[in-house]
Amino acid sequence: MPARRLLAPTAVFASVALIWWLAGRAGWTNAYLLPAPSTVAAALSDLAASGALLKHTLISLQRVLLGFALSVALALPLAVLLSASRPARVVLDPLLEFVRQVPPLALIPLLILWLGIGEAQKLGIIVLASFFPVFLGFRGGIAGVDPKLIEVGRVAGLTRRDILTRIVLPSALPELVVGLRISLGYSWRALVGAELIASSAGLGYMIIDAENLARTDIVLAGILVIGAIGLLSDLVLRLAVTRAFPWLSADLEAARA
Amino acid sequence: MLELIDASRQYDVAGRAVRALDGVSERFPAGSITTVVGRSGCGKTTLLRLLAGLTDPSSGEVRRDAARSIGVVFQEARLMPWLDAAANVAFPLKGRLGRAEIAARVDEALTLVGLTDARRALPAQLSGGMAQRVAIARALAQRPDILLLDEPFSALDAFTRRSLQRVLVDIWRRRRSTVVLVTHDVEEAVLLGESVVEMEAGRVVGRVAVDLPFPREATDPAVVDLRRRILARLVGGADPFNPQVCSRRKP
Ligand SMILES: Nc1ncnc2c1ncn2[C@@H]1O[C@H](COP(=O)(O)OP(=O)(O)O)[C@@H](O)[C@H]1O
Ligand SMILES: [Mg+2]
Repeated sequence: MPARRLLAPTAVFASVALIWWLAGRAGWTNAYLLPAPSTVAAALSDLAASGALLKHTLISLQRVLLGFALSVALALPLAVLLSASRPARVVLDPLLEFVRQVPPLALIPLLILWLGIGEAQKLGIIVLASFFPVFLGFRGGIAGVDPKLIEVGRVAGLTRRDILTRIVLPSALPELVVGLRISLGYSWRALVGAELIASSAGLGYMIIDAENLARTDIVLAGILVIGAIGLLSDLVLRLAVTRAFPWLSADLEAARA
Repeated sequence: MLELIDASRQYDVAGRAVRALDGVSERFPAGSITTVVGRSGCGKTTLLRLLAGLTDPSSGEVRRDAARSIGVVFQEARLMPWLDAAANVAFPLKGRLGRAEIAARVDEALTLVGLTDARRALPAQLSGGMAQRVAIARALAQRPDILLLDEPFSALDAFTRRSLQRVLVDIWRRRRSTVVLVTHDVEEAVLLGESVVEMEAGRVVGRVAVDLPFPREATDPAVVDLRRRILARLVGGADPFNPQVCSRRKP
């Protein structure tokens, strides 16, 4: 990524910080409801110095990545199965459609009953939040394969299996990548919900705990960190995809727009 | 053997039955090169799809020796966007031949179509004509017993077209594969066919044997004369812009 591409976003964030700071100085905002950037920065550096920030971040990162990985591991085979098998579609589609309509947060009580209040429940929420984009993206990609390319495989005498692995799945990749990016984002967004109950660490916990202690500066610091890591992980995913599949970069540009 | 016996193909277009192919009986002898000519919408692609086994006839029969391999050049390039030119050419060969053999065939085929420099280019980086040449190379690299080509050269500039027409005749003469080439260009049909099948409105309306040695020249008076005669018959005195020429008339 060329440094020039980072110029505009950096300028935008700097301007927001400036306006935020000016608003505090001018007394337009309440220092308790919206602490000044300097207060937040101080809170951030305190958290960093005490090692708390690193501990919370690592725990959250682990939860997000594990939950995201679980989602992907579930979604990919399921999408292939449902695309290939009509009976599987008939049975599973209505169920999945139903679950998709239910907000993950509404399922927290059930998840607590079924999975307890440990790590499994937290991963469960992240999985519920991040499963559908990657699942639907992959299925859409598979359904959208160009039948003209399938014919190329047919005249070449490819088996059904070869047509699936050599034509259908690669065709589905652009939409899968979009699904992956949305899912990864949703995993981060589900974090606070996941760490709402019975947790003693993680960025989500840190934010909830700070709220109880009326430490708005720490709440804001936590939000900034989650947002920044979310952006960073999206960037890493995008770079990895461009590396692995150079032909996709055009599609990625379109997806970003 | 490659043969259509009273073959018809109907399509349902907005609730109306369209006869894309209407009772065609035609033999394509082993080792022959046949061109099929007719204007757009007259069923040329449908005929080729039946021969390739991509569509079944609504009635009638398609006979093809199942043991014989087929290569198809479609009207569009149909390249896999995720594979570079060389990998697209190798696509039908993968898992069938050894790596060295595949590499040799890919090199040979890309050389034949004049694209050795573009072997690492992705389809999105190729012009329409280049993509079509990769598609031609893909079919040639298969060395099929039966080679079916659907207006393979129409996206090419005149120079490239002429040289690829020669390449095709060369390969046919060396390998003695059965070639069926569909075109809307009467001159091309006369230059390339041992016989020219004339189509109109889903039917075969004529078959002309072209008794001229290869390679043929477009300026050869015999070619020019034959071209004029076929053209006159296909236009049939009718207004060439009158769409009714392609309507479903009953004989
Ligand atoms: N898949 C299809 N569905 C509906 N109509 C079709 C289809 N394929 C061809 N046709 C119709 O059949 C006729 C012949 O088409 P085609 O074989 O493609 O002609 P050509 O290749 O000579 O231009 C046309 O009227 C076309 O609209
Ligand atoms: Mg056609």
